Amino acid sequence: MEKGLSRLIGRRWADLAATRLMFVATVFVASVAVFIGIGLLLKSWPILEARPLSELLFSSVWCPSRGEFGFYPFIMGTLWVTGLAGIIALPLSLLSALYLAEYAPNKVRALVKPALDLLAGIPSVVYGIWGILALSLGGISIGFNVLAGGIVLAIMVIPVVTSVSEEVFRTVPRDIKEASLAVGATRWETAKHVVMRASLPGVAAAVVLGFSRAFGETMAVLMVVGNVARAPSSVMDPAYPLTALIANNYGEMMSVPLYDSALLLAALVLLVMVLVFNVAARLALARVQRRWA
Amino acid sequence: MNETCISIRHLSVFYGKSVALKDISLSIPGRQITAIIGPSGCGKTTLLRSINRLIESTDETRVSGEILVDGQNIMDRRLDVTALRKKIGLLAQKPSPLPMSIYDNVAYGPRIHGERDRKALDRTVQDCLQTVSLWDEVKHRLRAPASRLSVGQQQRLCLARSLAVRPEILLCDEPTSALDPVSSQTIEKKLVELKKDYTIVIVTHNIHQAIRLADYVIHLYLGELVEHGPANEVFEHPKEERTRAYINGTFLADIKFDKELDLKGTKCPYNFVYAKLALDDLAEGNILRIIVDDPTAVTELPRGMEADGYEVLNSNQLNKTDWEIVIRK
Repeated sequence: MEKGLSRLIGRRWADLAATRLMFVATVFVASVAVFIGIGLLLKSWPILEARPLSELLFSSVWCPSRGEFGFYPFIMGTLWVTGLAGIIALPLSLLSALYLAEYAPNKVRALVKPALDLLAGIPSVVYGIWGILALSLGGISIGFNVLAGGIVLAIMVIPVVTSVSEEVFRTVPRDIKEASLAVGATRWETAKHVVMRASLPGVAAAVVLGFSRAFGETMAVLMVVGNVARAPSSVMDPAYPLTALIANNYGEMMSVPLYDSALLLAALVLLVMVLVFNVAARLALARVQRRWA
Repeated sequence: MNETCISIRHLSVFYGKSVALKDISLSIPGRQITAIIGPSGCGKTTLLRSINRLIESTDETRVSGEILVDGQNIMDRRLDVTALRKKIGLLAQKPSPLPMSIYDNVAYGPRIHGERDRKALDRTVQDCLQTVSLWDEVKHRLRAPASRLSVGQQQRLCLARSLAVRPEILLCDEPTSALDPVSSQTIEKKLVELKKDYTIVIVTHNIHQAIRLADYVIHLYLGELVEHGPANEVFEHPKEERTRAYINGTFLADIKFDKELDLKGTKCPYNFVYAKLALDDLAEGNILRIIVDDPTAVTELPRGMEADGYEVLNSNQLNKTDWEIVIRK
């Protein structure tokens, strides 16, 4: 009796402790994001106080030694490179994911899936070197510009988006695909109207995941993108994304007033851009979902 | 009217190395309900899915033999599968509404086949939903997602979707197994109504459903054709011992009674009269189960019922005193 009771107390105590422990772990993980945000805000506060936000965001003049900090070229650099990567990567990823999920024989899938996972695991500096050798200098020699950066970034994003979307496509119930085939739809019509539609939320999540990474990708991009602080006006122009700006300059020229604060503001701007992208994607999805659900 | 609609010649289907169907040859009559019966894994669904060539979507399937639909061999590689499937509707086991609105579900097939005219689509949607008695329930919310319907409504929607491309043949793969009794009954009623215009092939593991619906029966066992023929012949005088065993076995195992009556303690002829009164309240084809403990009733009651035109399905001793008698109206 005595033993049974103490065992019961022990079990309940362990249960309670586990619950608390998991809660603390979750709070810790979630608070990291908040602390990073607060840290960036505090560190970039000096420049936010010294300069109006509109000037910081929309001025094209970047001349720290004269105290001019216009982030416009860098914001546009990030948007151009990421946007181009999206234009290249999205159709390729979604079509190959659809092929793997719906058309490919098991053997092909068994070969391609590990290859994709391998691609996703290659360090980004390797992609950068490949970009220099294959795109910018040797190979097709397109130079150091948005195009080269976009291609390299697309190639980095493709495995992630393809792999995740393929998983999502494969969760579409066989029943509804067959329902479509059974009324005389072709496989493509079924893929287009039924599979894509049914897997939209998951695919949207895959795309958001892939591009949140693309926004912040640094190494490979800064190696091929040219790093000229001017807003690009075509894909053949060089660009200077926010990430490259921070990576190239943090720790140097720290004697220049406000420079340190400016770089942390660049990081904050990047964080906000990714956040806005995430929220916008979610809202758009919710809108579409309400119509179909 | 009852000319052969589908004829199957030496059909064999293999999944990888295993044989799903072995050399099946038979004919399915037009504008009747043909039930494919047999235990699980006997190839019922494979046979059904061969008819609209949906088995091809499974990896590593091999098929040999011929299936003629309206005299045309559908196994022909040059055949346009989409045209074939337009002619052959499918009602699946689990209701499978497409991820779109109620309206779009029904309009899906016609749109795929090129119908763009808004008015024609509206008319088809309304017609088909009326045919399956769903129109009144959904006419005010045609734009709502189909997933919001109840499971029973979803299955009727799926039936409407199949009908929207104006098929000649309707394949049903255990169409009521996921439904509640009332929804099942609605679907069965619809199938009986539809057989005047459609050739219906239904896979069922529910022998009572087969008895209620079928005009023609195919019994498969482990991929082999055991017996096929008109329903009354197969059910009443099965030629094959395996068919008899299957029908009886299923009967005792999962019989569903429409009404049960405890007549213990009543003597002949009162128990007979009570049973008759109970049967009067039942619909044609319904099943009554009575329990009696009068020894005379055990022999006399079934005899009297048969004489009055009822079918005695089973009479069975439950314990020392009680007997169970199952009668179908």
